[in-house]
This record gives sequence, structure tokens and C-alpha cells, in this order.
Amino acid sequence: MRLRPNLLIGGTLLGFVFVVAATALVWTPYDPVRTNLRRRLVPPSSDYWLGTDEFGRDVASRLMEGAVTSLTVAASTVLVALALGMAIGLAGGFLRGWTDRILGAINDTLLAFPGILLALGLLAVLGPSRWGIVLALGLAYAPSVARVVRGTVLSIREREFVEASRALGNSEAYTLLRHVLPHTAAPVTVLATSLFGWVILSESALSFLGLGVPPPAATWGNMLASARPFMQDAPILSIAPGVMIATCLLGVNLLGDALRDLLDPRDRA
Amino acid sequence: MRLRASFLALAASLGFGLAAPAAAQDTLRIRLNADIRSTDPGVNRDANTDGLVWHVLEGLVALRGDATVAPMLAERVEVSDDGLTYTFPLRQGVRFHNGQPLTSADVAFAMERYRARETNWRCRGDLDGAVTRITAIETPDPQTVVMRLERPSALFLTTLARTDCGQTGIFHRDSLNADGGWRAPVGTGPFRLGEWRRGQFIELERFAEYAALPGEPDGLAGNKTPHVDRVRFTVIPDDAAARAALLADNIDILPDARTRDLRDLRARPGLTVHSSPSFDLQIILMQTTDPLLSDVRMRRAIALALDVPELVRALTEGGSRPSRAPIPVGSGFHTPLMSEVPARDLAAARRLAQEAGYRGQPIRIVTTRRYEAFYEIAVLAQDMLREAGINLELEVLEWATQLQRYTRGEYQMMAFGFSARLDPSLSFEMFTGPKATQPRKAWDNPQVQAMLEDSMRETDRARRIALFETMFRQLMEDVPVVALYSSTNNAVTPAHVQGFRSWAVDAPRAWGVRLARR
Amino acid sequence: MLAYVLKRLLVALPTLLLVAASVFFLMRLIPGDPATVILGDAATPEAVADLRLAYGLDRPVLVQFALWIERALAGDLGRSITSGEAVGPLILARFQVTAAIVFASVGIAVLLAVPLGMLAAWKQNSWGDVAAVAAATFLLSIPSFWLGLIFLLVFGLWLGWVPVVGYVTFAEDFWGALHYIALPVVTLALIETGVLIRMARASTVEVLRLDYIAHARAKGVPEWRVLARHAFPNAFAPTLTLIGLIMGSLLGGIAVIETVFTLPGLGRLLVEAIFARDYPVIQGVMLFIAVIYVVVNLIVDLLYPVFDPRVTAG
Repeated sequence: MRLRPNLLIGGTLLGFVFVVAATALVWTPYDPVRTNLRRRLVPPSSDYWLGTDEFGRDVASRLMEGAVTSLTVAASTVLVALALGMAIGLAGGFLRGWTDRILGAINDTLLAFPGILLALGLLAVLGPSRWGIVLALGLAYAPSVARVVRGTVLSIREREFVEASRALGNSEAYTLLRHVLPHTAAPVTVLATSLFGWVILSESALSFLGLGVPPPAATWGNMLASARPFMQDAPILSIAPGVMIATCLLGVNLLGDALRDLLDPRDRA
Repeated sequence: MRLRASFLALAASLGFGLAAPAAAQDTLRIRLNADIRSTDPGVNRDANTDGLVWHVLEGLVALRGDATVAPMLAERVEVSDDGLTYTFPLRQGVRFHNGQPLTSADVAFAMERYRARETNWRCRGDLDGAVTRITAIETPDPQTVVMRLERPSALFLTTLARTDCGQTGIFHRDSLNADGGWRAPVGTGPFRLGEWRRGQFIELERFAEYAALPGEPDGLAGNKTPHVDRVRFTVIPDDAAARAALLADNIDILPDARTRDLRDLRARPGLTVHSSPSFDLQIILMQTTDPLLSDVRMRRAIALALDVPELVRALTEGGSRPSRAPIPVGSGFHTPLMSEVPARDLAAARRLAQEAGYRGQPIRIVTTRRYEAFYEIAVLAQDMLREAGINLELEVLEWATQLQRYTRGEYQMMAFGFSARLDPSLSFEMFTGPKATQPRKAWDNPQVQAMLEDSMRETDRARRIALFETMFRQLMEDVPVVALYSSTNNAVTPAHVQGFRSWAVDAPRAWGVRLARR
Repeated sequence: MLAYVLKRLLVALPTLLLVAASVFFLMRLIPGDPATVILGDAATPEAVADLRLAYGLDRPVLVQFALWIERALAGDLGRSITSGEAVGPLILARFQVTAAIVFASVGIAVLLAVPLGMLAAWKQNSWGDVAAVAAATFLLSIPSFWLGLIFLLVFGLWLGWVPVVGYVTFAEDFWGALHYIALPVVTLALIETGVLIRMARASTVEVLRLDYIAHARAKGVPEWRVLARHAFPNAFAPTLTLIGLIMGSLLGGIAVIETVFTLPGLGRLLVEAIFARDYPVIQGVMLFIAVIYVVVNLIVDLLYPVFDPRVTAG
């Protein structure tokens, strides 16, 4: 086996993030939503490892809690986007014709919908909760998945081995699942890992515009967004969630690359 | 520094030029946190629109800095003994921006448009029954306007002067299109409207023939002589960017600095922070029809569990005074009685909640992040109530959604803020009224309603104060709301801006301001 | 070719109608309406009713929709409730700002990212590759508003090279305009570079494994030529899809960047309209964005066969 620095580094970084999240499930130094007016914007110390925010909440605890929320939101969103997007993309790319056109129209409609409008609409329907964000961002990203999958399917469906499967009398569905689907794994994995990162960032951008996961629940995104006014006075408030986002994304993406190499059907041959 | 200068010289020599096309020296640049909605006074408006329009238009009367009313286009105001006839002799020598002299016909023309239903003037209802009803507007001669009312009202002149009514600004008929629609204001104010580039800036130009009153500037009244040739209101929605723009000398007045930036801005040499108490009100509303909160003991428990002075100190960093009365601290009607803030009493709060049958179930408080203060009030209240065993749950909504919930009265508790009310009766009226017809009202108490209506008719100051004090005592008994404080306006200017003063309304005034650059 | 383009545009009509309808009804499902927002804390029931009447919001929703569609077909998108401006010209004016920034930054990003991504793929799994991926990942891990604000702080405030707020159009003052859009363009370009490097690398890795590359190498074609002439066209195809997606989503508005840098672009227009429940503006902008998507997708699909000979258009 070749040296895979991306596997090693990616695994370590992501492992760290998951350990942080797992720890937060059972223990945090302080209650992450507990405010304390007398200890606002305290600099890092042995009591508060990363200081406190503008409400006197412990930043380290919020960061740990944020790991849980951010990972949950990002993972759920990616799942929603993948499930929807792959279904649309596979069907459209493989069946072509009218199915493709109808799916394409739906896909384009979703694509043209900005995440913010979806988020607003779904938050209104579901009430202010993280699941509104998950559904909104999932819907917003599904078309990207669909387009990439459809593109891949289009470029594969005319290839010799697909033709061969058909020539052997295999059904379309079998051909699709057995011969076409595996080839979408590589681009979809890359996209999924990127998506994971985009979702975390999008959630933060939505928070910036006032529509993210509703506070006081902590996500890295809304921590970063609300730290903005203190960039000069208390840079740790921006740096800490920023570093966590970067760490997580770096880990996910490196691991995604490694995974892609491992998943590639041609490597198994 | 030297490095930067040489880089700039290099860049300039390479043809890059300096950063901005240098603004003319005599342009006063003011931050605007959002574009204005229109130039139509009191119709399609918000606070920014009002603040722009008052540079261009003037009314018969105007507000002083203490929210009392002074004559503006009127020489003086003569009120008949029965309080039903108001006579406004107009000032001599006042001209519109198009050079035409101001006459009583112009006043009558403007008033007719305001009173027409299709204009959708915000204050039409107030002068068509709610405050009083104007029964006739007469122009016995070109320099005199007479208005006749259906019933006497202490609020009539204040309503005419209200900024959200566009000061009932008198405009020339050239302001309208041929079809009667609003085109652009041709007024009598110290500045005339220049270019308005939507989403970017609005420019005003000095009106050279402005007929200024003698004396000092006072609120929107007094001497409003323009000293700068041009005023540019630059739209900068983001607070951090606005602050950066001030520090980078891209704007001359930051009219609305954030509380949390003040310490840093004060510490910088050359910057001056101008603070003034405003007439708005930050408040916690409680829905008295809610099964739990309909019990007055529960509402009292919540009020007793709040440490109002601590909360206000934390929110405003000592900038505002806590007050449980709706009449702002800066108002002449705010009496010492109203400054009394009951002490926090956790034991009593627990006992009252217990008696009201409260068993720790969550109470939802609606708030938004659009206005940081609303959110912070909710967070701090949640924290303080927790110590009394009362479990508050935040429901953070987007602003328009919260407004709808407010308008429909669909909430248990709500962190809210009322915009400036300039008459003490209105300070009570904004949350007092029958829920059946006006679900947004928090306090539905018929006796208080009667007192409120008395206070609007009563023109004697001492008797009004007595009424307000009685209503305040009743408010502390009923606790449908917990009034907290009126916010403080903090404007910041660099050294070359002279003569600027902040005041009770957060939109700035460009008259009286000079630019003294080297 | 022309027939294909026309057919595609025709096929897009249902999409546009679908967007228009879903936006229209979604906005009316969302709580809050323009009258309440305009009136704020002083919204008496009478005043609300008056305003709703003035904006035609008192009619049944279906009637409102039919009226809107009828006018839109005639090219009239109505007037903004907030500012009274005609929606069509308003959108075009705002779009110019967004388009200038997006074209400049995506252009820069493509020029930077594609060669870098291909080089990284060529040296796959080397430490250089990992460094490139790490750098790319780092770039796309930074929230745009955060990066934008840092730039604003450093270049606008500390160094004073560019103005912090404001905008002029290129037509008015070319160099001035360049100064105003420099920071947003750089911010956006850096982030998109991160995204594109990874895509370019991934698709090049795919292509480099294909047999024809091995053939070319076996025939002794120089390595740079293998990359430039043989690998690039095929590797660029998936990247092109992504560029299309990126262009589409960015042209539809870069609300966050526009807010940080105070630019009067399409994204800020939409966000502000959403918050103000300015229905005509929201509907107009959304329809416009949908048209952009249709056009961008069409262009991508037309370009696809140029790079990937396995796919034919039509």
C-alpha cells in the first residue's frame, strides 16, 4: 500500500473533532448555554480555557457543544442532499428523455432557489429549529449532487461495459445499480465531503444573515457569526470556532480524497 | 507609515490613483444603516426616511429637543379658549426650494393631500378621530391658516410635529406629478434633495435662500442654518463596516455606534462620542390571555425575579437608566415616582409562582436577532428567571415573523422595543387598549383605558401628570409588561466635524454642522 | 445548434413557471407581510387594512398570482413595495454590480485553480499534493464574511489602500470602480479557488488513470504535453459543470459579500426584500435568477462536448 498522507492526517483531524463531540455528549466544563453577566468577555485562563463570550458563556464548552450540533446538522444535511440528488441524477442521466426533462425542470427550480429563501420558508413551517436548516440546506444542495451524478452517468452510460451489460440481456435497473452506480461513487464522495464543509459554512452564512440554527444552541457557524463584532477586542471568539471549522473541513476533505482512491472501482481490478 | 506613503506614491505614479475619488471638502458624509423608503413624508417611511425628510421639509410646528412643540413655519400658534380653533400666522419671507413664497394656500394644499384617504398618510387616522378630528382648514388671508377641531386635544400639535408623520411637512405642489402622485419634495427646509442613488447614497444640497430662525438649533426647531454645501447619506448596512468607514475617514458622522464599540471609540484620539437619551422603550411583554400568565401572581413573580438595574447595566454598559415606567426618563413628564424600580426578590417570586400553580413548565419568550438588544434582553431574562425556578425558553424569530406575532398577540412573552413616543399619553397608549379589536395591545384594562383617554383630552400639565402617576401605579399592580429602559443614542464624529449634536431621535441633523479640515 | 438552443429555452419555460409559482405561494405562506413590516410597532388594524388595500394584497392569492403572471408576460414586474421603484430596472441595475464581481473572481479562480489542481493530481499523494489540497481546503474552510472582514480591516483600515464603503460603476470611473470591487473580488476568488482546485485535481486524477494517457506516455509524448493536450480537455469537463454551478449560484447573489463590502448587488436586494416581505421584488429577482440558471446551464451543456468527446449535445 502506498503512503497515504491524506488518510493519516485526515483521519487524525477528523478523529479529534469526533472525540471532542463525543466528550461533549457526556461532559463539558460548564453549561454551554449558561450566561454570567459578571464574567463577560473574560480572556482565556485556567478557569475558562478559551475565555467567555459576550454573555459570559464558556467558549470551550460552547465549542464542544457546537461540535455535536455542527456535525449533526452537517451530516444530516449531506444525507438529505445525497439521497435526493442521487435519485434525481441517476434517474435523469440514465433514463434520459421525458423523465430527464421533468426531473431537470424540478432540479433547476430547486437550484434557482436560494438557500436563504428555503431556510426562511422551512423555518416558518417547522418553527425555529435545526431541522428546518437541515431540510433547507439539503434541498438547496441536492441539485448540485444531481447535476454531478447526471453528468457522470451521461459520460458512462455509452461506455463499452455498460453496453456490454445491456447486450448480455441485463435489465436496465440491474445495469444501473451494478455498473453505473459504482462509477458515481468517486465524484459523489468528493462532492459529499465538499458538501459537508459547505453546509457548515452555509449554516454560518445563514447565521450571519440572521437565519441560522437558532440561538442559544451553539454551532461553530453561529459562534463565528456572533463573534464578528468582537474581532478586535476578543479575537479568540472568532479564532476558536474558525479553527474548529478549518480542522473539521480539512479532516473531512483529506479523508474524502483517501476514501475516493479506495472506493475507485478500477483500483479493485 | 512611511512605507505606506511610499507605496501610495508608487501606486499613484503607476496610475492607480488614490483610493476614492476624493470627496469634495465641503461634503458632510453621514452613515445610513439602510436606504430610505421614499421621500414621501409620513407615507412610505421608516426612521431613516423621517430623518432624511426633515432636512428638506418643515411643518407649521416642530419638535424641540425635549419633545415639546415649537412654531416652525408658523410665526406662533394661537389656540382659542375652548381649544377648538388653532390659528397659525405664517412667517414672512419663507421660500420653497423652487423660489416660490410660502402661502396659506400651500399649507391648505398639503393638508388636503395628507387628509385624503388614498394618500395613506400614517397619521390620517389620528387627525380623523383617534386624537381629534380636523373639521375645517381655512385660509382667511395668504399669511394665515386656521384649523378647526371637533374636540380639544393635548396631542394635536404634537401629532402635527411627529417625525413619523413627516412633521406634516408643507410641500409645494411641484412636489407632485400631474396625476397627483408623489414625485420629489420641494420644501422649505435648509437642504434640497439632490441625487438619490438607491441602495448607495442620497445627497442633499444646501438651500442658499433658507430662511433661518434666530438663536440656537433645538431638536427640529430653532436655527437650522446649513453650513455645508452638500450632505451625503451613505448606505452602510453592516455595523462593523460602518465603524471601519468612520475610522478610514470614509464618513464624517456615525450616528448610531454600537454600545459595545464605545469603549474602543472613546479611547481613540480625535473621536468624540455624543450620547443622548432617546424616547424609545425596551420592554418585555406578557400575554395576559395566556392560561398561565393570565394569573397576575405569575406575572408579578416574573417581574420580581428580574434584576432590572443589573440587566440594564449589562445591556447598555451603564449608558441608560433603568425605569419601569413607559414615559422615557428624558421626558418632562417622567416624575421621581416613575424612577422607582422595585428591588429583586427571588423568595417572593418563587412563592408567587408557586401560588399561581407554576410547576416549572417552559414559558416561551419570542425575540429576534435583528435588534441585538431584544435578543440580549431575552437571554438575560432567561438567566435571571432561572434563579427563581422559572423556566424561560427562547424562540428566536426573524423580525417580520416576530412583528406578525406581536400584531396578532400570539406570544407568551416577548422581548420588544417601541419606537420613540413623544407624548406621555402615547407612551401608555402604545401597549394599552382593548385586545378584542387590537390584539397587539398588552394591557387591556377598561379603567386605565378611560384614564388614558382623559389624559389625551386634558391640556393642564399638572393634571396630566397626576393621571400618568395613577396609571403607572396601576401598571405596577397589573404587570402586563415589564418596561426596562430607553436606549441611548451614541453618535461618533472625528475632530474636523464641528457643531454636531446628537439628540433624542437617532437620526442625525446636518444643519449647524461645519467641516473644519486643514 | 440554433434549433437545440431554442428547444432548450422552450423546455426551460416550465421551470420558470414552477419557480414563479412556488416563490409566489411560499412567500404568502411565510408569516409576516409588507404592511406589518412597514407599520412596525404602530400597526393598527385599520392602517394594516389600508396598506393591504393599497398594495392589492386584499385580493385572493390566486387572483394576485394571475395578475402578476399576466403583467410579467407583458414585461412588467411591478413596483417595489418598499421603495416604489420599478422592479425590472431595479434588478438590472443591481445585477451589474454582482456580475462584475462574479465574472472577475471566477475568472481569476479558474486561471489559478485549474493549473494548480492538475499539477497536484500529476504529483498525486506527494507531500506537494497534500499541501495543495490542504491549502485549497483551508481556503474553502474560511467563511466569506470572515475573510472579507479581515481584508477590510487590513487593506481598508490599517493600510488604507482601498475605500471601506461605496461603489461607482465602471462606466462612471473605471479606476475608481476597480478600487471598490478589488477586495470583494479577491475574497471571492480565493474561496472559489479552494473549491476549484479540489475539483480540478479530482477529475485529473480520474483522467490520468485512463488507458489513452498510458498510451500517450508509452509513445513517449512529453509529460507536459500529456497534461496539456491529452488530460486537460477531459479533466476540465467535470470542473466545467462545477464552474457552471458556481457561476449560477454566485450570479444569483452574493448576499454575504455584498453586505460586508456594502455593495448594491442582487443578493443584498433579495435578502432585504425577503426581510421586508417586498413581494414584487422577491418574485422578480427569483424569476431573474431562474433565467440565469437556465442560461448558465445551457452554456455549460453547449461547452461540455467541446471538452468531453464522449458526450454529444442534443
